[in-house]
Amino acid sequence: MRQKFMFVVTYAFGLVLLGMAGKFVENKSWFLGFFFVISSGLIIYVYAISKKIPGKYLVPGLLLLVLFHIYPAFYSGVVAFTNDSNGHQLSKTQAIDAIITDSKIPVQGLAPIKYSTAQATDTKEIYLIFQFPENVFWAGNSDSLVPLNVADVNLTNTGEITKATGFRVLTSAETVEASSDLQNIVIELKDGIWLTPSDLNYLEASKQSFRYSTQRDELIEISTGTTYHPNDNGQMVGSSGELLYPGWKVNVGWRNFTSVVRDEEIRRPLAAVLAWTLFNAILIVVIGFLFGLILALTFNSPHLRSKRIYRMIFIVPLAIPSVLSVLVWSGLFATNIGVIDRLLHIHTPWLTNSFWARIAVLIVELWITFPYMFLISTGAIQAIPNEIIEAAEIDGATALKSFSQIKLPLVLRTVAPLLVASLAMALNNFGVIYLLTGGGPIFPNSNGNAGATDILISYTYKLAFNSQEGNNYGLASALSILNFALIALISIYGLRRMKTMEGVN
Amino acid sequence: MSNIGFLQSKKMKFWFKKLLWRHLVGIAVAIFALFPLVWMISAAFDVTGQISTQQLIPMHRGLSNFTDLFSNSEKPFFIWVRNSMVVAISAAVLQTLIGATAAYSLSRHRFKGRKLTLTTILIVQMFPQLLATTSLFLIINSFGLTFSGLGLGHQLPLILIFGGGALGVNTWMLKGFFDTIPSEIDEAAKIDGAGHFVIFTKIIVPLAIPVFIVIFLLSFIGILNEYLITSVILGLDGKSMTVAVGLQQFIYGQYGKNWGPFTAGALLATIPVLTLFLFLQKYLVSGLVSGSTKG
Repeated sequence: MRQKFMFVVTYAFGLVLLGMAGKFVENKSWFLGFFFVISSGLIIYVYAISKKIPGKYLVPGLLLLVLFHIYPAFYSGVVAFTNDSNGHQLSKTQAIDAIITDSKIPVQGLAPIKYSTAQATDTKEIYLIFQFPENVFWAGNSDSLVPLNVADVNLTNTGEITKATGFRVLTSAETVEASSDLQNIVIELKDGIWLTPSDLNYLEASKQSFRYSTQRDELIEISTGTTYHPNDNGQMVGSSGELLYPGWKVNVGWRNFTSVVRDEEIRRPLAAVLAWTLFNAILIVVIGFLFGLILALTFNSPHLRSKRIYRMIFIVPLAIPSVLSVLVWSGLFATNIGVIDRLLHIHTPWLTNSFWARIAVLIVELWITFPYMFLISTGAIQAIPNEIIEAAEIDGATALKSFSQIKLPLVLRTVAPLLVASLAMALNNFGVIYLLTGGGPIFPNSNGNAGATDILISYTYKLAFNSQEGNNYGLASALSILNFALIALISIYGLRRMKTMEGVN
Repeated sequence: MSNIGFLQSKKMKFWFKKLLWRHLVGIAVAIFALFPLVWMISAAFDVTGQISTQQLIPMHRGLSNFTDLFSNSEKPFFIWVRNSMVVAISAAVLQTLIGATAAYSLSRHRFKGRKLTLTTILIVQMFPQLLATTSLFLIINSFGLTFSGLGLGHQLPLILIFGGGALGVNTWMLKGFFDTIPSEIDEAAKIDGAGHFVIFTKIIVPLAIPVFIVIFLLSFIGILNEYLITSVILGLDGKSMTVAVGLQQFIYGQYGKNWGPFTAGALLATIPVLTLFLFLQKYLVSGLVSGSTKG
């Protein structure tokens, strides 16, 4: 019974996924369509057909992992080679359609076109009935345009249409009721003329000012005959360089990567950002670890009875949601009015001077990091067998010697993998940077407003979502790739040293 | 009499020599550790609500910051709390579930592709999801063009995204724990006719409840703390934000104006997490440390 139930549920779910795949394909999201077809098949196979057990426990997690972790990483690689950005997100056909639709101008010198609202007697759809030009009658809405026979239409001498065969003309009260639908109706006539209701009685005629020639792949401005041709950045451009908006998404090859080197407004800030990313990460791991280690040594005394209370206080920074604590810190650092400046009677430009902003970042990062470093150092120290230390003391080692020659190397060996992991985390410490300083103070003349405390990931975020030059997803993805490479280098180096891979076997 | 005095002075000397400096260091570090928390509390109850006049013990104490916060209809604090809870609880449940099932099969079954799966998870772990935030945004955007409920501004895709990050976060740690449960127990159950599902739900899961609680809480706190992906997917619209994103939008660049109500909100959001953490510190700390050893 339960198995039958599982069977039904599995097939139903599989079919839902298949249906979703169909929708994605309809909208030309090829990968998502493909992925959902595969998922649907896999789920039906694993839960309803195969007798193998492991798949039943792994497949849901693996599917989500592929869709939301691995695929995005590779998709960055795809986007990095396009000009995907604000104004370059459509396909070429969509962009050209958008240019033509947006270029509508009112047609001058036409007699006013009166219309009546009517409902098709069979489909109950709303139509507008009108004559254009004189004595040619139409019933139309956004989707269709039907010619009407003159004989079928009853026209009053005020120019009002009161009856049409196949339609029921609405009363004025009904028309008012339907007015919100009427606003959205756009009737397209054959010769590039659009009709839209301007009020409840009259239609307004407008026509497109551009025409697209498929054969010559150019847009022609109808009134002047000026032509616009596509350029290699996915935009229609006139002979004297004027651009038509929107553009479309094209492949730009390595341009995003080369602009990192060539474009002065990206290169200079990026070099500074990269340097600070590395420097900041290394510095905070080193300082944080030393701080934690010294603290651990200090509180590793068997005579200290209040150890547990101290420990409880020291881990408080771990227990406050860091988003909130960092925001509180940023308030405390406020220049002149903030608590820190007032307590110390100083006027430090914490968030407006590059040097002091970096110091502020380091202080807050230290505050967040040291409890963890304290905990792992304490663990590592306690794991050192007492005999070793005692033996050294008997041999006459001073406290300093027994620390530097025996304790430190042993501790380092235990915590080294954790420090490499912390380094990788510190490279992407978006929250602290973005919430404390916003990456600022901003460098002058930098694309995407890079600042003195920006790290690679916060600069990427600014380029992608927060840029005054318009969000540039292509360039941001190229920087993400750079970040991936950076982390891969550090991780490979770390793994080589640590041989964590042994755990796999 | 003199004997006791001698003992006392010896004790005192020892205390001065061996312990005094430790206490001094401890107090200094404790001040550092508690610094923002103390000022957060003091500002929350300072009715003037001003950053520039804030004192450690406020002159005028009261709850006006809280009432200001609750009555601000443009900054719906309780809606943010609800959003945070919906996202963090469902995503943490999803993460724990995915981690547990995956770890069970990787710990208890030998199959083709097992090593590959473990290696993949290890590599994936090194590249956190937030590196690909731009792509996630574009992907969810195209989801939304086909299914509006799965698009930007909705919680479901965000929860699924966190679910996608689950394998990379929890699997190794849970597998490590499952490996310590003797396999003789499930062998015995198997002989008694128990299937894999019964072994998992009736034997492994009950034994691993403490670890599940740790994983769930760490995931929960991690998601509450997530800013980047959350703000990009949910957007910065007043009603869809989480507490973290909402309070950031509330305070950023407006320290002068909103400091009081902001600290009140921050305090309210901090208290449950802080309490939970300190109560369960033994488990959570071991989870934090061992989780990263595996990575």
